[in-house]
Amino acid sequence: MSTYKVKRRDFLKITGLTGASAALAACDMPTTVTLEEGEEEVVSYLMPEEYVIPGIGVWYASTCQQCDAGCGIIGRVREGRVLKLEGNPVSPINKGALCQIGQAALQVHYNPDRLKQPKLRQEGKLIDVTWDDAFAALKSSIGPDSGLDGSRIAWLTGTVSGHQRVLMDAVSEAVGGASHYAHETLNDTVVDKVNADVYGSANVQYKIADAQSILSFGADFLSTWGSPVHNSVQYGQFRDAPRGVLIQAEPKMTVTGGSADLWLPVRPGTEGTLAMTIAAELVASHGADATKLPKAMADQLGQYSLDSSEAQTGVAASLVKQAANFLATRAPSLVIAGGTAAAHEHGYEAVTAAAMLNVLLGNVGKTIIPVADFPYPALAPKKGDTAQLAAFAKKAKAGDISVALIAGTNPAYTAPDQLDMAAALSAVKVKVAFTEFLDETSSMADIVLPLHSDMESWGTHVASYQVADPMISLQQPLMEPLYAETRSLGDTLLDVLKLYNAEQYGPFADYYAYLRNVVSAVPAVAKEGASDEAYWQAGLQQGMLKVTAPKPFPAAIATAANDDASDALVKSADTMGFVLPVYEKNKDYPLSLIPAASSRLGDGRFANLPWLQEAPDAITKIVWNSWVEMHPATALYYGFKQGDFVEVASAEGSVKAQIYLHKGINKDAVAVPMGQGHTEYGRYATGRGVNPLKMLATTSDVQTGELALCATRVTVVSTGRNEELVKMGGSESQVGRKLVGTITADQLRRV
Amino acid sequence: MTHGLIPGKVSQSNRHLAPREPVPAKAWGHVATRFNMLFGVLCVLLFFVGSAYAEVPNAVPPKGDHDGKHVEQPIDFPHDIHARDNKINCMYCHTYARRGLVAGIPPTSKCMGCHTVIATDKPRIKKLAEYWEKGESPKWKKVHDLPDFVHFNHEKHLNRFIFNNEGMEVERADEVCAFCHGEVKEMTVARKVKPLTMGFCRQCHEDNNGPSDCWKCHK
Repeated sequence: MSTYKVKRRDFLKITGLTGASAALAACDMPTTVTLEEGEEEVVSYLMPEEYVIPGIGVWYASTCQQCDAGCGIIGRVREGRVLKLEGNPVSPINKGALCQIGQAALQVHYNPDRLKQPKLRQEGKLIDVTWDDAFAALKSSIGPDSGLDGSRIAWLTGTVSGHQRVLMDAVSEAVGGASHYAHETLNDTVVDKVNADVYGSANVQYKIADAQSILSFGADFLSTWGSPVHNSVQYGQFRDAPRGVLIQAEPKMTVTGGSADLWLPVRPGTEGTLAMTIAAELVASHGADATKLPKAMADQLGQYSLDSSEAQTGVAASLVKQAANFLATRAPSLVIAGGTAAAHEHGYEAVTAAAMLNVLLGNVGKTIIPVADFPYPALAPKKGDTAQLAAFAKKAKAGDISVALIAGTNPAYTAPDQLDMAAALSAVKVKVAFTEFLDETSSMADIVLPLHSDMESWGTHVASYQVADPMISLQQPLMEPLYAETRSLGDTLLDVLKLYNAEQYGPFADYYAYLRNVVSAVPAVAKEGASDEAYWQAGLQQGMLKVTAPKPFPAAIATAANDDASDALVKSADTMGFVLPVYEKNKDYPLSLIPAASSRLGDGRFANLPWLQEAPDAITKIVWNSWVEMHPATALYYGFKQGDFVEVASAEGSVKAQIYLHKGINKDAVAVPMGQGHTEYGRYATGRGVNPLKMLATTSDVQTGELALCATRVTVVSTGRNEELVKMGGSESQVGRKLVGTITADQLRRV
Repeated sequence: MTHGLIPGKVSQSNRHLAPREPVPAKAWGHVATRFNMLFGVLCVLLFFVGSAYAEVPNAVPPKGDHDGKHVEQPIDFPHDIHARDNKINCMYCHTYARRGLVAGIPPTSKCMGCHTVIATDKPRIKKLAEYWEKGESPKWKKVHDLPDFVHFNHEKHLNRFIFNNEGMEVERADEVCAFCHGEVKEMTVARKVKPLTMGFCRQCHEDNNGPSDCWKCHK
């Protein structure tokens, strides 16, 4: 060490030389880090808007299209590019907030896997073609000269609303009676039906901010259910002093469950029993008036004792008493049900039982308010569900669909294998995909028409959950299209309509012209004295168009809001006999599978957005992968450890993933998150994790026919391999080192 | 108009956006820079001997010079005719300088504001009119460039030396611009005559009590 002395000066020389050779090696480094003259081009604006200053962003309002909640967004645009999205402060839906999925809409727009060129299937392969060639192919399939019976054409879409829906319906009519199937894996079909039957309207507003206590059955309303951002804003007010109490009953802890004061790990499928038990407890111990309930239900209350219920639901009697006590003493309360509670063979009954708690507690008209349907039914959302997809599959397999127009849904990925979408789609002669990405479904298509991203398109939308007065959300492009050979769905629909009815649609140069004209046609009453141009400009600035005031509640709803049980209530409960299921053990498949809705990847449609892949799951902190969530006691019983690779097998299929141990799950359940396991969805999603939807049984909710997502029983088998889970957050315990001191609430009270 | 500080150096002319094309670096750029630095040191010495800057109040002009090359531009824009002969204020055309990070190449519409009537028979103006007719802006070559990790703000400097500077008249803005851009009003197309290196910036910040936090410029 001491034989060769490096003096300070030598050291500097050596490091200097190293630096020089590094600079030599980096001769072709990007020009952006060098000082140079006359290399880069600068191009001035031709004729800029007065308010445009280079380097300073201008914010434009639009509407988020990542889900159907319809949050208002504002996008920062600088030098013609959209750089950042935020919530629109004037939107009554999200009031300036925006969730991570909304933020990640930028990555849809700038995604390197976006389709830039239309494709046609030739000799079994998808070949790049020009837009004109692709549209010519579409024209020969569904145009006036195709000679096709219009009823053999079918739309297969996600939830659609606004003028996009109007134009789809117009196309259906123009071709001669095409059918329209809307598919969403995560849907509220069961809840909507219960709301219609119990409250008299499928549309209800949950006044979370007005409640003092909330009991939610399976509805992850802060993250994946309903209008999550709106609910979260309301939740903030709910938690303000006096602090509201949140009770969450669900088999697998969701983000909402993680925020709850009292979390009830109910056994999957027994949520209805738990609701009835709480009702019985309210009547027995808190003087609730059972005569408010329909007779068929009131008569049954006696069957639900705390003890018998504990054996069924797995929720300790003391916790049920506590929950009932909160609800009774902290009025007004609010009971919400949905999500995993509705996803069973008797989901309708479970949600009804929960709704009856609102009736019993006198919440209807206070914290849960039935509202009229959207005043313009043609624009109202056509909500998707799996029942419609099953109907499509059945019709397709019978050979009754020749052309399928597919937009905004990916059934080849989300549908259970039992539905056999591959066979159904193969039976359709021409499949047309309107899409931004090649996914499992669009890669099976014959004509692939690449769409503008939501940052490049015009549109009007009506939120599936109307939070206040009815309004139409306005979507405007935040920048010019990135690619020359993509078009917006609205423009393409107009082009198809022009083939059929040039007189009516010919005058509209594009979708923008069509929408602008539609807004001109809005009755002057709705514009409240503003000129047409002022109304439009205000709409653009705010990202929404106010339409006429809401209709008063229909009479039936007003009755439901009264204390007495309405006709509607009695009818729904009595006609179905109101039988709640008894939890049955299954020897071969002992555990219930919860395909958990992901607050990051949704039903899988956001798996190609790296921001969401790398954002850790809120409960497990796992990134970029799938996992099997299991209670430590269950794992102990079966002999599994954290990180074990296991095979989760149902009678219909199986997936392999690593075990994540967590006490936030019912001991009779395992949860595998939705969203991963894509076989074709770009570089970020493909070949990553597993897709639990494929292995679901096609058990349906009896009353609505909707797929029961949580009704599949599975067995878990070890594969003998164990690896460390890749997750943020490292250790989950302090290993007895008391890094952060904690005391229990009881101790705190004594202090 | 775009700037080296801003990702995505693309045409804004008709808001048409194209993916960014990398520009190949000069292989011997760093050697040239070294030579220029030596040259700059000589120039600094010369500066002390003979330079006679107009006196901007409350300001010590930055020291250092650079012998920038002549850059070929699509139109030989004569700064001398505009700024010297006709005494047009720099900020009349570089209108963004006092409002934002970048000074901005003037929009073509601004050129045409005068040149639909002035000097319409001159070849350079005819060339400009051709661009205008086509609805395009000329593709100028950037003369004063900074690395992307340097955050330079024109607005802040103009406020310090012109607008919030007691005794300074806005009519003499060109004297402040000359701190970093040299006597542009004596040039036709602009040439880089100041080093715009970190030492150049730091010396000036020290002399004029400018901020010395790293993150003021590197963020």
